Amino acid sequence: MTNRVTRRRFLVSTAALGGLAAGSTALAACGGSEESGSSTTAAGGGGAAANTLTFDNWTLYIDKPNDDLFGEGGTLAEFQKATGIEVEYTEGINDNNELFAKIQPLLSKGDPIGSTIIAPTFWMAGRLLQLGWLDKLPLAEIPNAANLIPSLQDPPSDPTGEYSLPWQSGMAGIAYNQAITGRELTTMDDMWDPAFNGKIGMLTEMRDTIGLIALSLGIDLADPDSQDYQPAFAKLEEEVANGQIRQFTGNDYVDDLEQGNFAACIGWSGDVAQLSVSNPDIKFVVPESGGTLWFDTMVIPKGSTAEQIEAAGKFMNFVYDPVNAARITEFVQYISPVQGVQEELRKMGGEAATLADNQLLFPNASTLARLQTWGTLSVEKEQQMDEEFARISGA
Amino acid sequence: MAEGAAPPVVAEVRPATGSTRASRAGSGWGRRILTLVAIAAYVWLFLPILNIVVFSFNDPAGKYNLSWDGFTLANWADPFKDAQLTEAFWRSLIVAAVAVTIALAMGSFIAIALSRYRFTGNKATEVFLILPLTTPEIVLGASLYQLFLGRDVVLGQATVTIAHIMFLVSFVAMTVKARVRGFDWTVEDAAMDLGARPLRVFWKVTFPLILPGILAAALLSFALSLDDYIVTDFTRGEFTTFPIQVNNAFRVSYPPQVNVLATLILIVTLILFTIGPLSQRRRSRAT
Amino acid sequence: MAAATTDDTGLRKGRFAPYGLLSPGILWLLLFFLVPVVMLVKASLSTKPSRFAEPEFAWDFSNYTAALSEYSPEFIRSFLYAGIATVLAILIGYPLAYWIATCGGRWKNFLIGLVVVPFFTSYLIRTIAWTSILQDDGVVTGLYQLLPWVGSDGRILATPMAVVGGLTYNFISFMILPIYVSLEKIDFRLTEAAADLGCAPWRAFRKVVLPLSLPGIFAGSLLVFIPAAGDYLNARYLGSPQTSMIGTVVQNKFLVQFDYPQAAALSLVLMVIITVMVLVYSRFLGTEGLAV
Repeated sequence: MTNRVTRRRFLVSTAALGGLAAGSTALAACGGSEESGSSTTAAGGGGAAANTLTFDNWTLYIDKPNDDLFGEGGTLAEFQKATGIEVEYTEGINDNNELFAKIQPLLSKGDPIGSTIIAPTFWMAGRLLQLGWLDKLPLAEIPNAANLIPSLQDPPSDPTGEYSLPWQSGMAGIAYNQAITGRELTTMDDMWDPAFNGKIGMLTEMRDTIGLIALSLGIDLADPDSQDYQPAFAKLEEEVANGQIRQFTGNDYVDDLEQGNFAACIGWSGDVAQLSVSNPDIKFVVPESGGTLWFDTMVIPKGSTAEQIEAAGKFMNFVYDPVNAARITEFVQYISPVQGVQEELRKMGGEAATLADNQLLFPNASTLARLQTWGTLSVEKEQQMDEEFARISGA
Repeated sequence: MAEGAAPPVVAEVRPATGSTRASRAGSGWGRRILTLVAIAAYVWLFLPILNIVVFSFNDPAGKYNLSWDGFTLANWADPFKDAQLTEAFWRSLIVAAVAVTIALAMGSFIAIALSRYRFTGNKATEVFLILPLTTPEIVLGASLYQLFLGRDVVLGQATVTIAHIMFLVSFVAMTVKARVRGFDWTVEDAAMDLGARPLRVFWKVTFPLILPGILAAALLSFALSLDDYIVTDFTRGEFTTFPIQVNNAFRVSYPPQVNVLATLILIVTLILFTIGPLSQRRRSRAT
Repeated sequence: MAAATTDDTGLRKGRFAPYGLLSPGILWLLLFFLVPVVMLVKASLSTKPSRFAEPEFAWDFSNYTAALSEYSPEFIRSFLYAGIATVLAILIGYPLAYWIATCGGRWKNFLIGLVVVPFFTSYLIRTIAWTSILQDDGVVTGLYQLLPWVGSDGRILATPMAVVGGLTYNFISFMILPIYVSLEKIDFRLTEAAADLGCAPWRAFRKVVLPLSLPGIFAGSLLVFIPAAGDYLNARYLGSPQTSMIGTVVQNKFLVQFDYPQAAALSLVLMVIITVMVLVYSRFLGTEGLAV
């Protein structure tokens, strides 16, 4: 008898210990986070002094000397040397919608999100602006903003240009594996060639997929609320139904192009710039009917202090200096929004100089003429188009 | 085995004579087919691993390690080349270690309670345990996120660990329960009737018997935690783990270091698993 | 306080101990799972005046009617894929677990560890490796195309077959391990005794081993079917627009459409259907079900 009671007590006390351990982990979370880099906090503006700056960006979107973001000679290190401001740079953005899902609950309550600068794609920046969640950029700190290339000035997502500055830009067009297609592709009609049935890919990015199809049907993108994109959706649905389109992908199309699962797909210029280095058969072309120009922007969501905003301005000014912009472009290999980068790359010589002649980084005038950037969609129209796109793409 | 009682349950030691083996697994040809099936299954399991290991020796010309460009040992010479990738790697290991340990304790207790006792709420608990598994990860992640936000909790390593423990507990409970179900618990009574104290009974009788279940649950949980993306993404704030880093980085690159780190995990765990049987051999030689 | 009493099978009628053992884990789940789920229920009955507005609780059941009417193809497809994957997992996993338990000897722990080790890599890494192996121009697809009903333009990737294969592959450890742990505690001297008494090996297996390993099959089936039904990664990377599963819809509804109420309703419907299925399954398995 005595033994059993003791044993029961033993088991219970062990369980209680386990509960204590578990509970203390939970309590630790309520205390404070010890991790390096900023944490997303639901209350308090952080109160950081103006000598740190938090910037949350996409992965591998800034130079990385010796495979370390903060390596010697890199943009972040150089910025700290020049201004004394340390950049707490994190690479947390993977997807615009995921980003929105994380910041929306905070911003709608008026709470800060923990990063002073974030880099949403232009249309997401436009949405944030529409919802009134962005602070104006401290343009007084950014004289180099004058270096912005003309084609990206005063975009529809930010008509006054006071709330966003492009970080990097790129094109969406046709990416194809010439070893499989057996020929060059130049138009969207090439995508619908029955010879490629089951070997065509589309992007899950609605604006790029519908954009290219719409342009091939002669429908403009600049003033979307005045246009009817139903013909583009119908075309997409038709090609899905007859099996022409194999899959809708995100970035993983690079894998499929490489492995030969796709003959061609809608893709982004920067990816092909990378892929074609190891596989020259993979090519990129802006269709004759046109392609889309997209850009990711630096914006300052509400909730940062004036000192933090000032520090952000200094950083933006720094990266809009052609020398620094060239360093970033050499690594990232997307289209730089800063004028003068081409010359800086040539000055750097070596591999950097060859980038200066790369059409994917510095498209010529005739290519640029065929590119359109989406205008801003109204909330209702965007919702309707997103739902239609999800239905067709099987999402 | 000092207890002296003759428990009718499974003993760890079985006489490994040739004839008993044969009748255990069926006749000769049946056993051969079984072995073939097993080998085929292992090949299937490791096919992608082979691909990963091979490509860890690749020297890609561009940023994507997707097509073979040439053999190199450079990746292995410097597996921790990418600072952010390596940091994320260690973080994943630490989160997994902590989360699995706690989930193992809690889940095993649940399994024991459910199997050994009859009490009100037994069935309700079993059904409740299944529910976390039925919820899509995106919903688990997002609702946890809302919960933490509402309580002004700072997101980071602790919240990720909390989230991992949450979805691991059910897995552990079910795996250990499969081991514990149908036990003859009178073994413990026998041990205690012979004078063993409760703690000793637990460590010498109960624990060894459920240990395989706990080990299996530990393995599964570790894999689950290492690989988790969605729930982690919503509960992490700025804290990056290995799958987060790899998935996010895939936008622009797929370096061979990813393959090297993945292969390293494989090698280390294989080594850990080999120690067990080797030390067992020494032990059985001694006795 | 009464001492714990035992009945014939050694089960105890505990007064205090079981709740003590349960409390840490169940409390954890109550706090970090149930509370969010309650929030989910509330959200599912809410409406949103516009896409980015906050949901307003309104006892609105339209999300549920939409879930059942519009998305029943995805529900059915998900259960079908998950069901096939579970059966395949049993067919592949049981023999492997049996082989390890009976022929593994000293190397058992190593062999069972080997089963899980591939899954210590990241899902994306494994999937890229699979798309490399199963690529249209690869050896495996070439062999597949030799099958008479397939032909030279057959493919493995971007088909339901690939999705089911991916589900089976990614969840098979969850089938093998529980079966193994339940097999491992069987005293195989019973089958030896049966053989000595003239019983054919297959019959001994069917009458002795199989019933004793049923808890493992049960646990394994749940651990495979349930997460597979809600999965979306395999459908996304290995499937096509025609293979979308309910997890895909939930993912989209939540992240892209930002329709949290609809996503919540879909998730809750999924949870309820799966729970009902599990209860039926456990009853079907008889005494090895949930009750005992």
